[in-house]
Amino acid sequence: MAARPQKRLFSRKKVCRFCVDKELKIDYKDQKTLRNFVTERGKIIPRRILGTCATHQRQLCSAIKKARQIALLPYSGNTQG
Amino acid sequence: MRRYEQVYILRPSLSEDQITAIIENTNQLILDDNGAVIYQNKWGMRKLAYPIKKEAQGYYVLCDFASTPGVVSEIERKFRIDDSVLKYLTIKISDAITAEEIEAARSEAEANAVVPETEEAGEDVQADKAETKKTEAKTAGGAAEEKAEAGDKAETEEASETAQ
Repeated sequence: MAARPQKRLFSRKKVCRFCVDKELKIDYKDQKTLRNFVTERGKIIPRRILGTCATHQRQLCSAIKKARQIALLPYSGNTQG
Repeated sequence: MRRYEQVYILRPSLSEDQITAIIENTNQLILDDNGAVIYQNKWGMRKLAYPIKKEAQGYYVLCDFASTPGVVSEIERKFRIDDSVLKYLTIKISDAITAEEIEAARSEAEANAVVPETEEAGEDVQADKAETKKTEAKTAGGAAEEKAEAGDKAETEEASETAQ
C-alpha cells in the first residue's frame, strides 16, 4: 500500500475552547453557553467537529444532559426558541 | 452531611404565597434534620424547552444545601406527590461537608450572589424574549461557522476516499 493520501487538506488546528479560556466554566445551569455546543436541532456536537478535549467533552456532555432533564435545553427540537 | 444542589420547577399558575409556602416547606425539611441551606435562588418564570405536564412555562427555584441522603429522598417523595411541582433535579456536589465549609460556602455565595443569567431571571417574560432573541442571532452565527467547518471536513474526507 502506498502512503495514505493527505487527509486534511485545508483544516485549521482545532483547540479545546475550555482549555484555552479558563474563565469558561461548564455548568448545566448556564444554558446560554451550552447552546453553543448543541446543533439547532438540539443534538450534542461531536468532538471531531468542536475540537474539545476528552475531559471537557465528557463534562460538557453530562452538563447538556442535566440541562435537558430540567427543561433548559430540549431533547430534540429547536434550541433557539 | 453531603452537599446537594437542587433545581425544581413549579407550576406557573401558582400565586406568590403558594410558591413561598412550597419553598419554606422544603427548607423546613432540610432544617429539621440539622441540615443547612447554603443559598437559594429564585430564577422566576421561564420558558420551558419542552412542555411538562402541559405547561409551557415554569417557575424555577435553585437551592443549594447540606443534608443527608434520607432528607433528599423525603423531599423528592413530597415533590412527586405535590401536583404543583412540575419537575426536580437533585445533584450531589460533594460527599462530605463540615460546618466550617458550610459557612465558607455561604459567605462565598453571598459575595458573588449573581444569578447565572441575571437578565433572564426577570419576571417580565416579554423582556426575556427580547434577550433570547439577541443570543439567538449570536449563536446562529456561531453555528453557521461550525457547520461550514464541518462541511469542509466532510469534503476533504470524501476526497481522500476517492483518492484511495
